[in-house]
Amino acid sequence: MEATNISPATAAGVTGHAGSGGAPVNLQQVSRSFGAVRALRELSLEIAPGELVALLGPSGCGKTTALRILAGFETADSGTVTVDGKDVATVPAAKRDMGMVFQSYSLFPNMSALENVGFGLRMRKMSGAGRRRRGHELLELVGLSAQAAQFPHQLSGGQQQRVALARALAIEPRVLLLDEPLSALDAKVRLQLREQIRSLQQRLGITTVFVTHDQEEALSMADRVGVMKDGSLEQIAEPSELYTHPASAFVAEFVGTTNRVPGELTGGGQVSALGTVTGVQSGCDGVPPGAVDVLVRPENLRITAIAGGNGIVSHRTFLGSVSRISVLLSGDVTVQVDVPSATAAELVPGASVQVSLDGSPVQVAGRG
Amino acid sequence: MAAIISDELADEAAPPRPHRKRRSYPVWRWIILALTCVYFLIPLYAALRFAGFASFGQVVHQTGFSDALILSLKLAVITTTATMALMVPTTIYVHLRLPGLRRLLESITILPIVIPPVVLIVGVLQVAPGYLKSTPYLLGLVYVILAMPFAYRSLDAGLRALELRTLVDAASSLGAGWLSTLWRVILPNLRTALLSATVLTVALVLGEFTMASLDLYQTFPVWIVAFDQTSGPVSTAASLLALFVTWLFLLLIVTVGSRRARRTGGAQVDLISVTRRDTVR
Amino acid sequence: MTAKAAPAAAPGSTSDPGAGPRRGLPPALRRAWTLAGVVPFFLYILLFLGIPAAAIAYGAFQDPATGQFTLSNIQTAAHGIYLHGFLITTELSVITAVVPGVLGLFIGYAIYTARRGALLRRIAITASGVFANFGGVPLAFLFIATLGTTGIATRWLTDIGFNPYTNGFNLYDLGGVALVYLYFQIPLMVLIILPAFEGLRPAWREAAENMGAGTWQYWRRIGGPVLMPSFLGCLLLLFGSAFSAYATAEALTSGTIPLTAIQIGSFLNGNVLAGQQNVGKALGLGMVLIIAVLMVFYALLQRRAARWLQ
Repeated sequence: MEATNISPATAAGVTGHAGSGGAPVNLQQVSRSFGAVRALRELSLEIAPGELVALLGPSGCGKTTALRILAGFETADSGTVTVDGKDVATVPAAKRDMGMVFQSYSLFPNMSALENVGFGLRMRKMSGAGRRRRGHELLELVGLSAQAAQFPHQLSGGQQQRVALARALAIEPRVLLLDEPLSALDAKVRLQLREQIRSLQQRLGITTVFVTHDQEEALSMADRVGVMKDGSLEQIAEPSELYTHPASAFVAEFVGTTNRVPGELTGGGQVSALGTVTGVQSGCDGVPPGAVDVLVRPENLRITAIAGGNGIVSHRTFLGSVSRISVLLSGDVTVQVDVPSATAAELVPGASVQVSLDGSPVQVAGRG
Repeated sequence: MAAIISDELADEAAPPRPHRKRRSYPVWRWIILALTCVYFLIPLYAALRFAGFASFGQVVHQTGFSDALILSLKLAVITTTATMALMVPTTIYVHLRLPGLRRLLESITILPIVIPPVVLIVGVLQVAPGYLKSTPYLLGLVYVILAMPFAYRSLDAGLRALELRTLVDAASSLGAGWLSTLWRVILPNLRTALLSATVLTVALVLGEFTMASLDLYQTFPVWIVAFDQTSGPVSTAASLLALFVTWLFLLLIVTVGSRRARRTGGAQVDLISVTRRDTVR
Repeated sequence: MTAKAAPAAAPGSTSDPGAGPRRGLPPALRRAWTLAGVVPFFLYILLFLGIPAAAIAYGAFQDPATGQFTLSNIQTAAHGIYLHGFLITTELSVITAVVPGVLGLFIGYAIYTARRGALLRRIAITASGVFANFGGVPLAFLFIATLGTTGIATRWLTDIGFNPYTNGFNLYDLGGVALVYLYFQIPLMVLIILPAFEGLRPAWREAAENMGAGTWQYWRRIGGPVLMPSFLGCLLLLFGSAFSAYATAEALTSGTIPLTAIQIGSFLNGNVLAGQQNVGKALGLGMVLIIAVLMVFYALLQRRAARWLQ
């Protein structure tokens, strides 16, 4: 995986400028409905030049709609979309200068890989020789020089997506849009392509919007991740921030693993659960005091093997340096607890254990 | 220049050829196929016997043959052009922007199969303006209605085999206007369907008798019937000739088309049906 | 290195093909603009199908002598030999819909499941395309040469001791005509049923076998019900096609069997009683109405089929 030996000159050669090939993108209060379904509710999103923002969410959350509105395939019912400071609402998709990579089947079956890559250049009236030269450059960039004359059906899924990427980059877009490009690929290919798309994007400095439903993908690739639900942006932040300080219960549960345990919320911003009292994270203000569900990550739980504890171990899964212990608590609640494997010797299925919070502030949500 | 993305990705093989389990054909299926062959081939053989091979050579020399054939071919050109000009954009448009109308379109294009040509020509002759009626071209334009079912089904099958929406969006994002998209992306992938639709239309025009005779134009089929009075064998030879030539053409197109499809990996389009690569049974 | 060039749009093109048109328009107008794309098609249909049909309908109610509105044409068309004609035509059409329907189903399936690209398959499909359009005098002649009183097959059968004509068969009566109709009805059925097979997922068959279903059970419980709406729809089409067929029957029988299409044709040829010139149009109207009813059922069946085969 030779991701590191690109000279700035090469990157410049591809984009035509040195490094900063991206334009700022701004969506303000964008709404879109399809009949009775509100796909986007006043979505506002600001993307800095050269940034890779991932839009993450379950199907139907509106992330693809937002992307398509950016690309120009859909029009917003209200709100503005600005690229590089200019409103693009009246600009048709063909003139928006955005490269797009689709989930699958987007390569033109009647053209070879090289011809596919050169298509956008042909639309820009570049000469045949120029197109071929540039096409070869880009295919080499994605490691497919040998496949230039092959047709899409002769290429594997991963190769096809790389050609699609080369094709999108050939036109030196201001913005790169990726609509779940890895979802249709094998797991192993997905992992490798992930890293390499990221390196490429960083080298070329193109503003990128990446839509996915795979949270691992989003967290590992993006500068910032926007979690969407039902047409709204629940939270947009750097991956680590999203993970440690989820703004809502939905985000907490969508990103990473989260346990739900019953607890009591007092009026004073304190919550008690599993026999421990701890503070409540900001962002949970809407939850009334009383019986609540406490959201806590596996690594924020303490577990000790002790007779007469509050739970019984049902499973132990070895994950390498960490082991994940499934514990059945009273009240038919199951929690996952992560412990260093070295200390997990006594935590065997059937063992009686005591599980408690480790004291860091937690999210709360209504009981349910 | 080192590649940013290396090619040493996980061993993704090129798409494997699907392994298909062969089912044994039950006996009755062979019986039915055999009976069908008998039913279709014997009359052809009988006609051949009747006509005699000598007649085939004579066909071309008969009076009225070339005029009638040329008229039919002219009509075929008009009808094919008009049919394609009308159906290709409409079908593509509906597939792309109005998928909800597809069923309506299919129902409408089916109408001509069930509307009696007899009735149609009566109506047309009643309302057609004089200047149009005095030319055979009116017939050519009315034939478009008859050709619609076959043309539509052909085009529809061809479009079903493509991921049209994605391809068009991709072309759009790369800067293609609708004309470029149509010309460079859509039509090249519809070549077989277009050819099939063309040949079916031509076959229809060359075989249509009812409306032509009632419109009092001596097209090729009308000539064949009239000539039957003069010489049965030659007339029969002419019909058989038309049949076989059309058949051969169609076969050629489908063969070339599937060879092309194999090269570009598209789904196999056989005239009016589509077989995707993974179809087993 | 290379200067960035803006994409050159084709002159005169406004919006790109994929996105909605005319952004900034209220949704209702946008929808209307989108529908405009199919206007040429509907216009053509209106001109060459709709208006002639209307002319027929109009003429059906017109007294040929006075031009006044009258129901007499309809009256005549619904009784006597004309009613008989409708009944006979219906009988013929039902037979030549069901038999080719079933045969075409099996043949179509055999073709569809043949090896992709097999010569047999290609020949069969192209043959269907050609023969579905084959009819009239040439077809009649083919059969006269085969099963006419001195036809080849007749002679063969007589030689082995079974003369069809002495055993109730007659090429020139209803049964004979039906037999000839099969020649284009079967290919037509094959053509229109083929697309329906695309909807049968191989995975269903494999799942069924996995659960122990044999061929018969698969068809009875899964394949059959799924195909049924399409199959019935095709039967309707075959019925319509047989109902409106003219040239073949005319060539075979020269009008000895009362078939509605032939009766209409004779009106056009001028074999009419005075005062009844427009009865032909009334007959035509009748045919169109019957067909219209058929099409409604067809559309309903297609909707059912679409739901399952999608």
